[in-house]
Amino acid sequence: MSQSENWVQQLPQNIIIGLEQGSVYSLIALGYTLVYGVLQLINFAHSEVFMAGGFGSYLVVNGIVGHRHMTGVMVPLTVLCGVLSGALTGAAIAWLLEKVAYKTLRRSGAPKLAFLISAIGASLFLSNLAGKLFNRLPNNAFPTYFDINHQLFKIGNAKVTLIEVIIVGSAVVMMIFLDRLVNRTKLGRGIRAVAEDAPTAALMGIDIDKTISRTFVIGGALAGAAGFMFGTAFGVSNLMGFTPGVKAFAAAVLGGIGNIRGAMIGGLILGQAEVLIAALPFVGAQWNDVISFVVLVLILLVRPTGILGERLGRAA
Amino acid sequence: MTATSQATQDVVFDVDHVTLRFGGVVSLNDVTLQMYRGEILAVIGPNGAGKTSLFNSLTGVYTPQEGTVTVAGRAGDAPVSVIGKKTHVVNHLGVARTFQNIRLFPALTALENVKVGIETRQKSGPIAAMLGMPWQRREEKESTATALALLNDVGLPGRGNELAGALAYGEQRRLEIARALGTNPGVLLLDEPAAGTNPVEKRDLAELISRINRERGVSILLIEHDMKLVMSIAHRIIVLNFGEKIAEGTPQEIQRDPVVVAAYLGTSAEDAQQQAEQAPELTLIDTDTVQDEEQADD
Amino acid sequence: MNTATRATLRRLAACLLGGFVLALMVGRQEGSLNDFGISFHQAVVGPRIFVFLLIGLVIFVMVTFWPRVVPYLTRPGVAPLGAGLLAVLAAQTVMNWYDPLVSSTGNGKFSGVRTAANASPNLSSVSVAFFGWLAWTLVIAALVACAAAIVTRVRVFGYVTAAIGIVGAVLAYVAHSAVVDLDGGIDHSLGVYADIVGFLLLACAGITAVHARAEVADTRGFLRKVMGYRPGLPIAALGVILGLLAFSTAGWFGALQINDTLAQAHSDFDGTGISSLALNYLGWLGWTLFGAAAVLSLAATYLRNRMLAWVSLILSVVGVVLTFLTLRSMTDIGAQVAPQFGGTWKNLGAGGFLACIVFSLFAAATAMVISSTSAGVRRNVRAKAPTDELPVTSMVKGFRRSSNAMPLLIIGGALALFYPPTLTLTWQNVLVGQIGVFVLLAVGLNVVVGWAGLLDLGYIAFYEIGSYTTAYLVGALPVKPPSWLQMSPLVSIPFAILACLIAGVLLGAPTLRLRGDYLAIVTLGFGEIIQILAVNNPGGFTGGPQGPTVPHPRIHLGGINITWGQDNLPYWYLLLIMLIVVIVLFYRLEGSRLGRAWAAIREDEVAAQASGVNTTRVKLLAFAIGASTSALAGSFFATQVGYFDPSLFTLQASILIVAYVVFGGMGSLQGAIAGAAVLTWLPQFLKAQVPQDDRQMWIGALVLAMMIFRPAGLLPAKRRKAELEGLDAAASSETAAVPRAGAM
Repeated sequence: MSQSENWVQQLPQNIIIGLEQGSVYSLIALGYTLVYGVLQLINFAHSEVFMAGGFGSYLVVNGIVGHRHMTGVMVPLTVLCGVLSGALTGAAIAWLLEKVAYKTLRRSGAPKLAFLISAIGASLFLSNLAGKLFNRLPNNAFPTYFDINHQLFKIGNAKVTLIEVIIVGSAVVMMIFLDRLVNRTKLGRGIRAVAEDAPTAALMGIDIDKTISRTFVIGGALAGAAGFMFGTAFGVSNLMGFTPGVKAFAAAVLGGIGNIRGAMIGGLILGQAEVLIAALPFVGAQWNDVISFVVLVLILLVRPTGILGERLGRAA
Repeated sequence: MTATSQATQDVVFDVDHVTLRFGGVVSLNDVTLQMYRGEILAVIGPNGAGKTSLFNSLTGVYTPQEGTVTVAGRAGDAPVSVIGKKTHVVNHLGVARTFQNIRLFPALTALENVKVGIETRQKSGPIAAMLGMPWQRREEKESTATALALLNDVGLPGRGNELAGALAYGEQRRLEIARALGTNPGVLLLDEPAAGTNPVEKRDLAELISRINRERGVSILLIEHDMKLVMSIAHRIIVLNFGEKIAEGTPQEIQRDPVVVAAYLGTSAEDAQQQAEQAPELTLIDTDTVQDEEQADD
Repeated sequence: MNTATRATLRRLAACLLGGFVLALMVGRQEGSLNDFGISFHQAVVGPRIFVFLLIGLVIFVMVTFWPRVVPYLTRPGVAPLGAGLLAVLAAQTVMNWYDPLVSSTGNGKFSGVRTAANASPNLSSVSVAFFGWLAWTLVIAALVACAAAIVTRVRVFGYVTAAIGIVGAVLAYVAHSAVVDLDGGIDHSLGVYADIVGFLLLACAGITAVHARAEVADTRGFLRKVMGYRPGLPIAALGVILGLLAFSTAGWFGALQINDTLAQAHSDFDGTGISSLALNYLGWLGWTLFGAAAVLSLAATYLRNRMLAWVSLILSVVGVVLTFLTLRSMTDIGAQVAPQFGGTWKNLGAGGFLACIVFSLFAAATAMVISSTSAGVRRNVRAKAPTDELPVTSMVKGFRRSSNAMPLLIIGGALALFYPPTLTLTWQNVLVGQIGVFVLLAVGLNVVVGWAGLLDLGYIAFYEIGSYTTAYLVGALPVKPPSWLQMSPLVSIPFAILACLIAGVLLGAPTLRLRGDYLAIVTLGFGEIIQILAVNNPGGFTGGPQGPTVPHPRIHLGGINITWGQDNLPYWYLLLIMLIVVIVLFYRLEGSRLGRAWAAIREDEVAAQASGVNTTRVKLLAFAIGASTSALAGSFFATQVGYFDPSLFTLQASILIVAYVVFGGMGSLQGAIAGAAVLTWLPQFLKAQVPQDDRQMWIGALVLAMMIFRPAGLLPAKRRKAELEGLDAAASSETAAVPRAGAM
């Protein structure tokens, strides 16, 4: 009995942790879902884009901060720099990835699995190249230019730390930005049109190649930014992409792959489910990965196309 | 074939007051029709009239909200409801179909395409196949021989080893019919078999369909835009418009039916009747060409 | 013009970027925590970057001027030139030339031998020169001469090329044997043979370039003509060449610092109490057998004489048997003389097994004569019958004939039987534990992914279930089975298969209605769940991260007692039997109605349903059959490796197996085998080429390049290949249009 009371007591704190994890999952999942929307392909190398964002932002932030200790207005500025550099690196890598691993295959009309395997090849290549260039240590901590665990405020008895606010806050900002982008801009209309019916979109004068390329760039930027956040909180390594990548993929499917809002919701649900269920007295943190997949399977059995259903075009 | 003789024949498809809706759109509205054994029944109607919905209701793909659909695929079968049945079960009941936009297995050879159909009626399992049991080998030989005979029959002799995807358009249409016939159906549903074929191919196709009906005793339900084809081979025609059955009869009756002409031309029945009286043969031929042009636009 | 310039510039940028990335990939540097970007720095700053940028530039030039190069590339002689160059380059850069150097200096490659040759004063000057500068000079000279021959078609150039090629081949042989004679260690390396083949191919290229009458080479047609000229003759000829090597120079017995050829073995074993049969074999019988079999099989294949073929076949079988008896009695004597080193079937060189390969090649060649002549007789009979009478049955027969694979199958079979014993222990280990097991897994997954088109990313889970079931049934897990259920490892295989069948159906039944990508993530999750279950060890069933220790298998059946121990070879033969059985069964399955039904649902599920295919049942069968193959592999693995832990069964492993299947050629049985074999062999091979940690990177790059340049895979499925070729042709006609527009 006392254990379950404990669970209830920790609930607010866990919800906040779940929100933090879920935001990262959502940001990565958006990349999966965007690419799936326009190409109907799972971009297996997306987790490496996330990793690249982590390393890119690490280099920039390390260059700015060095061994100094930042204060005042420099802290949010550095965070901004980190997000931007992570997003830029992610976008660049995603753009290259599309050019090398996808575009050539699309032109030769290869079977679907060939794309999957080329992405797997690219993923192996990128993560090991990063390992060679930087190092293969399991964890490279970001320079500590601010106290990431600094307690900002309390909700009930739940502590809210600075890093949590940064992660959730920037995730929300980026998701709103993406939602606007997809629903309000010309580029977004193009993406939706290609997702709905690529041949017709081409007939309407939309450059499919460019649209696909830009979709990769957008997804890559989000994942890269997520890489910065994840890196600040947990450190970067050349294999950091794998587990969050798989979870985010699960989140994208959970929400209905190809569906933008589905990816956001899927990520958040998965984050919450993991933290909350693992905190149950008879479970434990070692079951984390099992939980996310059991949740996924259960939901898919009830709703075979995910919570919100697929179709990027109709997400709006 | 006259109406009185049909009444005594047994019924293949019995569609009874079927209504099918998608959200608010009524696709089939209280449609009742019978298809009799051994006949070639054509279903015509303008685009969006509900032809394909009817087709899919007959094969169990769509489940109508109201009404019943029963089938007695082969002669002597008891009527069975198709509603809610899986597609392959409906096929096993003796109902074979082709697709409007050809759906072959492009990476398989023509022969294999037909064999897939034939072999769904066979019994030998995977273990027999792995061990090469004599009965499995016999079945394999039988299916190959049957498939080759079918390929010959539909006019694709010697093409068995070509990849289905590499065949010419008209040949693919024939191959699809051969594959459907391979499942030994009592009734064959053809979804616009002449779409995209040239006049010579159309003539051959008409001849093929009639021959299948005549020689194999397979009842045929035909959805087709090409009026010449329909008029030349159908025993009976049913006209759908906006999901409702508006006419039924022999080709001659349908050609003169003012309601049908109105549906096709989109004018009032009276005007159409006047036109029809002035030039009875021309009207439908005209609509036919209009239809073809519309299709070309698609 | 403007767009063309932009396209060219873009290509230039891409090529330079490629060079840059290559610069990052090559080298031994690696970053550290202290200096995060040090290797990046080292890779990019300094003169070495210009080398890589130059490589990029060269590629750019080649791609840009490709249309001007192409007419020359189709000339006769180019194909053998390319093959020869490739062989020589591979031989002189990556292949091993002398195994003892690997253990002493760590570099047994061409460059390693060069260093050793320079250091040893007793080596003949020709050998030193060959390893020092002569070999590469010869290669470049041959390349230049051959290029001149191809472009100008002046005969002299062709003859010069041929001379250089032959000189190179002879020198390679002489130089290598000089090194071996001097040192006398046990050598299994293949570098020199690849080098000889390469030089001879260069010689062929020269001759072909000036003597072929055609403007456009038809390499395939030529090869087909050669293979079809006299069935079995090329195989018999190969046998003769290998046999000469085996009986003259190859090592037959190597222990206590001796490395005996056949003749040396005869004098060494004379008077040691070896059986007279073996002594005679070493003395004259071996040579005689080889000579007789060679002459007979050459004659039989050339004359297509069934009588001769049968005699030669019988003689070859006798040859294999006698060779084995000889090897056995040699090793028995060796064990008596030096028990601490010896043992039955120990210390054998490559010679004896090479002789076995040779005899089996002769047998295969003559078997081909026998089968082809009998088929010819039947064909003639049928040709006399009026053709229109039985068109159907004659067509049925026509579909079954495929003889092209026959020679390859035979050579592969002989190699599988007799090559592994000549491998080093490390490679035997790799062959059994990596290549063999993963080939089996890939063959199983090919059913699911390649044939039925269902993307299964959790395939390793079945392997894991198979391993753990065996571990449970032999009592190696903390939870013991009831005593009546406890059994020996091999007996547990059917139960492991059953367990996986059940698991496969349990997973498949609810999830197979999900469409492709959803199925992928669900199977992925299944794999993760099973692995975490094994690690987390609920209820103390699995023993957690430590994993179980499984006893090695043994058979006691009536009078037969076979025990498998630490030695890898016996496992290889056990695995080979499993592999052959599985492959034969699956081969039949592919051509059965189930195989076609799988292809049908893969191609178009809706159409398959409409044709009466019960898609759920067919998919479940694919899942179940794939799972049971995995169980077989897992069960074998558990008992072979003796000890395993759950860290082996990761998601990465699942993904890798999918990569093997697709890399090899999706939906093709031989493709799955080849893909798994190549990609499991490659990391071991790369061990000697690149830093240990970089292997995954190179494999990733290779897989990526393979998919870009050959998306159908290494050995594409026949039907699928045709499908892709159509698309390729369309795409290439489009791409061909670009340079033409640019030229205007």
